[in-house]
Amino acid sequence: MNNLFEGKNVIVQGITGAHGSFQTKAMLAAGTNIIAGTTPGKAGQEVEGIKVYDTIKDIQATHQVDISVIFVPAPYAKGAILEAITTDIPLIVCITEGIPVHDMLAINKILKTSSSTLLGPNSPGVLIPGGNKLGIIPADMSLKGNAAIVSRSGTLTYETMAGLTNKGVGQKYVIGIGGDVIHGIGYKECLQLFQDDPDVDRILLIGEIGGQDEIEAAEFIEEHVTKPVFAYIAGHHAPEGVQLGHAGAILGSDKESADNKTKILAAAGAKTANSITELITLVVAN
Amino acid sequence: MKLLEYEAKNILAKYGIPIPTSLLVKKGDILPAPLVLKSQVPTGGRGKAGGIILVQKDEELKPAIDKLLNLEIKGFIPSTLLAEEKLSIKKEFYLSLLVDRQLASIKLVAHINGGIEVEDNHDFKSWPIEDKSQLETTGQELADYYQLPDQTFALQDLLENLYECFIKNDATLIEINPLILTEENTLVSGDCKMTLDDAAAFRHEWSFEEQPAEANFVTIDPNGNTATIANGAGLAMATVDAAFEAGLKPANFLDIGGGANEETLLKAFERIVEYKNLQVIIINIFAGITRSDEVARAIVAAKQKITNLPPLFIRLAGTNYEAAEKILTENNIAILPDLESALKAAKEVIHE
Repeated sequence: MNNLFEGKNVIVQGITGAHGSFQTKAMLAAGTNIIAGTTPGKAGQEVEGIKVYDTIKDIQATHQVDISVIFVPAPYAKGAILEAITTDIPLIVCITEGIPVHDMLAINKILKTSSSTLLGPNSPGVLIPGGNKLGIIPADMSLKGNAAIVSRSGTLTYETMAGLTNKGVGQKYVIGIGGDVIHGIGYKECLQLFQDDPDVDRILLIGEIGGQDEIEAAEFIEEHVTKPVFAYIAGHHAPEGVQLGHAGAILGSDKESADNKTKILAAAGAKTANSITELITLVVAN
Repeated sequence: MKLLEYEAKNILAKYGIPIPTSLLVKKGDILPAPLVLKSQVPTGGRGKAGGIILVQKDEELKPAIDKLLNLEIKGFIPSTLLAEEKLSIKKEFYLSLLVDRQLASIKLVAHINGGIEVEDNHDFKSWPIEDKSQLETTGQELADYYQLPDQTFALQDLLENLYECFIKNDATLIEINPLILTEENTLVSGDCKMTLDDAAAFRHEWSFEEQPAEANFVTIDPNGNTATIANGAGLAMATVDAAFEAGLKPANFLDIGGGANEETLLKAFERIVEYKNLQVIIINIFAGITRSDEVARAIVAAKQKITNLPPLFIRLAGTNYEAAEKILTENNIAILPDLESALKAAKEVIHE
């Protein structure tokens, strides 16, 4: 997966939109090699000096594409992701927020039998300080180094990264896996990447209440991760959501509290904190 | 979007799923007993809270309607009541279809003993549903599990209709509990909870009773001294956690999301100033897709309109920070470099 994030030729789907064009500029400024973009019906236009095509196929006629970053609005995002899958883009990073769950279920089925890897949706993307910026993580708050961050929440990812940078702790990877119910790669794939990359010397895992992803991540850490892991689960003081029906309790929402996840991560060997400030302090002290 | 029981049942009926004969009632309506009167509130635990009344005699109806219309259940007062025929119950089962995060798939969940105590059970039976073609086999297995061999066809039909209903309506949860087997040996949906995916609203023409929005704004402690505003649910939770750790008493959780405009902030401030012990407001915005200059402009505008605001402790970072700093500085509003210093500064002005 290492090679995937460091892929060279990047395209932007939905490059002519407000977010697409604004973020293309920021990605170019961070040094990302964006070779083209797509918006159906807008072939021939340029955004920040980058040529716009109708389809990915049209770009592939003359260029190899390694990575696509998607900013296409939610109603059309399913089509955009499927286009990237069917044109065999190795890494697809989907920033779009608010894609219907049923669209993601359909995409997930096709993704399983494809050669593509999906990060997101509703993800801030990946930042490799000094390397690729694939998405919207603000590069000017980062510092090149050896820590690796994986998080489910966008803005909390930035907060953690900025906290490390302020204390002079640089990052090799900053990855937001996205907060949607159905998503592409998760904690496990990122933890594996961090474990395998000799440049990474410590791992920060940021989670949230709800779901069981962090519990599965804890199992993975216990079995496969030898590097130091620092973890913070947001929502220690979150009020209980208004529960509808019994399904939530049956699915084990009591296991999904911040306190319980923190306990499980600590038992798996992670150093845990109750706030971001405490987490950064822990990382600096160790 | 969480639907009320009667809304959910109307949808079930459209897909051929049996529901009891029913009618919406309001104050003063006259109906013949016996019937079951049910408060329409968007929450579970209604039965235990007294929100369902069996009306045995005609003259019991009026007091029952009056009682339920005034009965608050987990903070909700019903605007509507549902009257249903009294069913003759032989047995109650549990059945739901939902999107399972861990499986990344639709899942059918069942239990042979349904009803209000269902969550005390731990031995639920479940089937991942990857495709419609599985439903015939699953229906057979469900009939075996429920020990209702003579209902096999009915359950297969029910599953096919339920699945179609789930897909066509962009549902994320349909829970039928109890699924009632009547003395006449028919299966009827006794109660139904349904959640539809708000993200899919663009392709439907939904018109349901408006329920309180999903928890973007939640009061944690109405007597708290600190209001919090952040963007992104994770950062909003982390801001509350950090405020607690710093010794403040957060009154609320608020995620203003990506759309931190003047209107959103104004609404937030209007709710926040209601807290009677409020002494400080923490604003923690880390802009990625949000642009912090827009947030800064919104803060300036909102602050001019609401004059009784307690001191603001603002932390802004990320996209377009320089422009934001300029706007706030020109308006004599301080920005703090990180959340830690914002909390520390806030703590200093708090008096018990």
